[in-house]
Amino acid sequence: MSDTIETKGTGTPEADGAGMSHGHVLDLKLPIGWLLSAYGVLLTVYGLVTKKEMYAISLGLNLNLAWGILMIVVGGGFLLAAFLKKGKASG
Amino acid sequence: MNPIITLNAVDYAIIAGYILVMVLVGYSLKKYMKTGEDFFLSGRSLPGWITGLAFLSANLGALEIIGMVANSAKYGIATVHFYWVGAIPAMVFLGIFMMPFYYGSRVRTVPEYLKLRYNEATRGLNAISFAIMTVLMSGISLYAMALLFKLMLGWPLTQSILFAAVVVLLYVFWGGLSSSIYNEVIQFFLIWLGLLPIVFLGLKQVGGFAGIAAQLKGPLLHSIKFLGTSNNPLGVDWFGVVMGLGFVLSFGYWTTDFLVVQRALASKNLNSARMTPIIASFPKMLVPVIVVIPGLVALLVLPEFSQAALPTAEYNQALILLMKHYLPNGLLGLAITALLASFMSGMAGNVTAFNTIWTYDIYGTYIRKGRPDAHYLKVGKYTTVVGVAISVGTAYIVQSFPNLMDYMQLIFSFFNAPLFATFLLGMFWRGATAWGGFWGLLVGILTAAGHYIAYKAGLVSYHSDMAANFYQAWWAWLADFVVTIGVSLFTAKRDPKELAGLVFGLTPKPKTHPRWYARPAVWGAIAVAVAVALNVLFW
Repeated sequence: MSDTIETKGTGTPEADGAGMSHGHVLDLKLPIGWLLSAYGVLLTVYGLVTKKEMYAISLGLNLNLAWGILMIVVGGGFLLAAFLKKGKASG
Repeated sequence: MNPIITLNAVDYAIIAGYILVMVLVGYSLKKYMKTGEDFFLSGRSLPGWITGLAFLSANLGALEIIGMVANSAKYGIATVHFYWVGAIPAMVFLGIFMMPFYYGSRVRTVPEYLKLRYNEATRGLNAISFAIMTVLMSGISLYAMALLFKLMLGWPLTQSILFAAVVVLLYVFWGGLSSSIYNEVIQFFLIWLGLLPIVFLGLKQVGGFAGIAAQLKGPLLHSIKFLGTSNNPLGVDWFGVVMGLGFVLSFGYWTTDFLVVQRALASKNLNSARMTPIIASFPKMLVPVIVVIPGLVALLVLPEFSQAALPTAEYNQALILLMKHYLPNGLLGLAITALLASFMSGMAGNVTAFNTIWTYDIYGTYIRKGRPDAHYLKVGKYTTVVGVAISVGTAYIVQSFPNLMDYMQLIFSFFNAPLFATFLLGMFWRGATAWGGFWGLLVGILTAAGHYIAYKAGLVSYHSDMAANFYQAWWAWLADFVVTIGVSLFTAKRDPKELAGLVFGLTPKPKTHPRWYARPAVWGAIAVAVAVALNVLFW
C-alpha cells in the first residue's frame, strides 16, 4: 500500500531536518487493534450471558454475539498486521 | 422530559474504553512533539492510509452524520448529491491538480500559500476569517454533542460540554495534529462498526432496497430524475446542485478548507499527500450506506415519521430514534461511542486547525515575528487551551439555529465559496496579481453576505433555503472570479520567478510514480468513474 512508497528527496533541507528524522513511531494499528478486540471480547461475552428476550428489538438476532465476534476478527487483524510489521522491522 | 435511551454498565464501559484509549494515545504522542512541525503538521511523517482516513473523518463529524440522516428522511435519495456530486470530483481534483502546489511549496497552512502567491493582506483576510469560522464550528460540534446527550441520556448540557472539552484539550495539548488525526482514524472504524447494525436491521425489516422502493414515493427514490425544475424534495434545480453544491461549495470546502488540507500536509511525501484525498474518496462514496439508508428506513419504521406526523417531525432525531428502535444494550454503547468519537474528533480537528492558523498566520505574522521554533510550539500548545475555551463559549450561541446542517452550509458559503475562485486563478493563471487576489476574495465574501441579507429581506426568493445557499455560493464564486481577473488586468504583475512552485506552468511537474498502482492519477480516474456509475445507478 501507499505507506511502503518511498520517494525521498522531495523535501527542503529544513523539512528533512529534526521534524522528519524521528517521525511518529507510535503505530496506530496497535491502539485500533486493542480497542476493537477489547470491544469484541466484551460484546461476545455479554452476548453469551444475556437472555433472548433482550434481542426482541434487534429482530430476534443476538447481534451482540455476532458483532462481538466480527470485532474480534477486525481488531485481531490490526494487531496481527502491527506485530508482523514490527517483526519485519526488527528482523 | 425522559431521556430517549437508557444505558447500562456495558454501554458505559464501551464509552469509557474509548475515552481511555484517546487520552493514552494523546499522552504517548507527547514525547514526539519536539518542534513546531511535529505539533502542527505531525512532522510531515504520516503514511497515506492514515492521512486519507483522517481526511475523510475530519469531515465525517457527528453533525454531518445526524444532519445527513435527517436530510435523507426529508429529501430521500437526493441526499447522495452531498457525496457523489458534492465531494468526489473536488477531492480528486485536489489530489491530482492542487496538491503539488500545496505540498510542493512546503507551506504549512492554506493562508500561507495565499501570502506567497498573492500578498500579506490576502493571507490576513483568509487567516482571520478562517480562525473565526473554525471556532464557530468547534462550538457547534460541542453544542450539538451536549444537546444530543441531553436528549438521549438526560445528561445536563454544561457537564457534557465541559467533560468533552477537557478530554479534547488534554489530547490535543499533548499530541497536536497527530492526536487529532489518530482520533479521526479510530473514529472512522467506530462509525462503521457502530452504525452498520442499524443499516443491517433496517434493511432486513423493510425488505431490502426492493422494500424501500415499494413503499416510498418517486421523488424520494431518485437522485437526479427530478432535478429538471426546483419542484422536488430538495427545492433545488440541476444548476443549483451542479454549480452551487458540486462545483462551488464542494471545491471551496474540499480544496481550500485548512481543516481537511492540513491532513494531506501531514503526509510523509508528495505522492502520499496527493493520494490522501483520493484514498479518502473511496470510503466517502460509501458513506451514504450509513446515512441515506437509515434516513429512508426511519420514514418506514418509526411512528414519529409516519405520514400523519411528518409536518412536525424532528428530522435531526431520526438517527437517535433508530438506535433506540433497533440496538440492544452493548451495541447501543458502541453506536453512542461512535457518535461521541465523531463529536470529539470534529472538535479536536477544529481546535488543531485553529491553533495552527493562529500561531503561524496571525501570532507569528502580526504579533511576534521571528522567534525561535520552541516559542511557537509553546504558543501553539497554549492556543489549544484558548481555542477550547472559545468553543465552549460558542456552544451557547448556536442554539437558535434549528437545522444545523443548513447553518454549516451558510457559513461555508460566506467564506469558502469565493475562496475557490482565488485558488483556481492563483494556481492556474500566472496573470492573477497580488491585489487582484485580495479584492476578488473580499468582494466574493461581501457578495455572499449581501446575497444572504437580500434573501432574508425577501429581495430574492428560492424554492428552499438550500437552493438559496447553493445559489449564494455560486454568485459569490462568480464575483470573486470576475473581480480577481478585472483587478489583475490593471495592477502590477508579479515576477514569474517569485511564483515558481506556486503556479501551474512555473512549477516542475511532480514525478510520475514508477509503479502504476501507486499513481494518484490512476486512482483518481477510478474514483471518478465509480462516482459516475453510482450516479447513473441511482438516477
